[in-house]
Amino acid sequence: MRELVEYMAKELVDSPDEVRVQQVRGNQAVIFKLYVAQDDKGWVIGRKGRVANAMRALLQVAGTIQGRRRVVLDIV
Amino acid sequence: MDREARPGRHNAEFSGKTVEEALESAVEALGIPVSELQYQVMRDSTRSFLGFMRTGEVTIRVSWEDGPPASVEVEPEDREEEELSVEDELPQDQAGPEASDVRPSSRGDEDEDEGEDEETVASDGNPPELEAEALDVLTTLLDKMGALAAVEVVDRGGRLDEDSGEVSPLILNVVGDDLGSLIGRRGETLRSLQFMARLIVSRRLGVWPNLVVDIENYKSRREESLRALALRIADQVRASHEPMTLEPMPAHERRIVHLTLRDYPDVYTESTGKEERRKVQIIPR
Repeated sequence: MRELVEYMAKELVDSPDEVRVQQVRGNQAVIFKLYVAQDDKGWVIGRKGRVANAMRALLQVAGTIQGRRRVVLDIV
Repeated sequence: MDREARPGRHNAEFSGKTVEEALESAVEALGIPVSELQYQVMRDSTRSFLGFMRTGEVTIRVSWEDGPPASVEVEPEDREEEELSVEDELPQDQAGPEASDVRPSSRGDEDEDEGEDEETVASDGNPPELEAEALDVLTTLLDKMGALAAVEVVDRGGRLDEDSGEVSPLILNVVGDDLGSLIGRRGETLRSLQFMARLIVSRRLGVWPNLVVDIENYKSRREESLRALALRIADQVRASHEPMTLEPMPAHERRIVHLTLRDYPDVYTESTGKEERRKVQIIPR
């Protein structure tokens, strides 16, 4: 799942070298914190959060396939 | 922007009771925001200025350009085909379901001057790298998601329809076991997958790709049942002379209903409601 977040983010941004994904284990959920360059935030969030929501939807399916209950994506 | 794009001009005609309605169906059919369309009024049987009178029919010739995105913030939504409804394209303060809220575009006057030149520009077809890039992106996405699936090319696309001026899309279909969760409720997850694939391919190619992603032929099956539904309801409307409203649908599904009934006698179709609640009404003439 972390690879999925990393892949999508790196493909979308202008500065892939500045993409960092941190995985935090919550009680109920797996949480991913995505860091990108300030200027790249628009690419991973999108208008009305559309890109972020698409990433979350795909991450959720990946979570289901891999038997995780809930996956959270935070864009920091 | 550091991307190379070979802009192509495209033309198509749309009709409606008013210019605004014709524009709305153009935006719905093409998935291009009204701000990026240029249009010329071709036939205006209403004979009223700008077609504000709700009688007769107005035909507009719409032209648009496929090129690199204007800005980071706007691109993801504005460039996606099929999945837009008109209100998404309007500035917040003007968004609304009424046709009168759709601006006839402040660029209208200058566009009419340009109209004749645009008709002569031919379309470029799909970029040669599209198929390889799209296959790579989609298989990589599926792989990183952990899905046991393969991707097949259903249609390589790139054919120019002389009438509409549209180039046919590359269609990829995902096959595998137990892909229900990947399709999602009413195809929502499939839409996210297609959107992400298009977005990544657009970043690689520098143009918004003419790409359709399907899973287990979900879309083509859904399209068939939507066509059957549209015809069945149109029959009822024709018999009863009472308008009927279908359940809320995403833009590309509403488009299928509109197109199916475009030449159906004695009824016409209209989209009403906002965003998630937007649905097609079938109305007797």
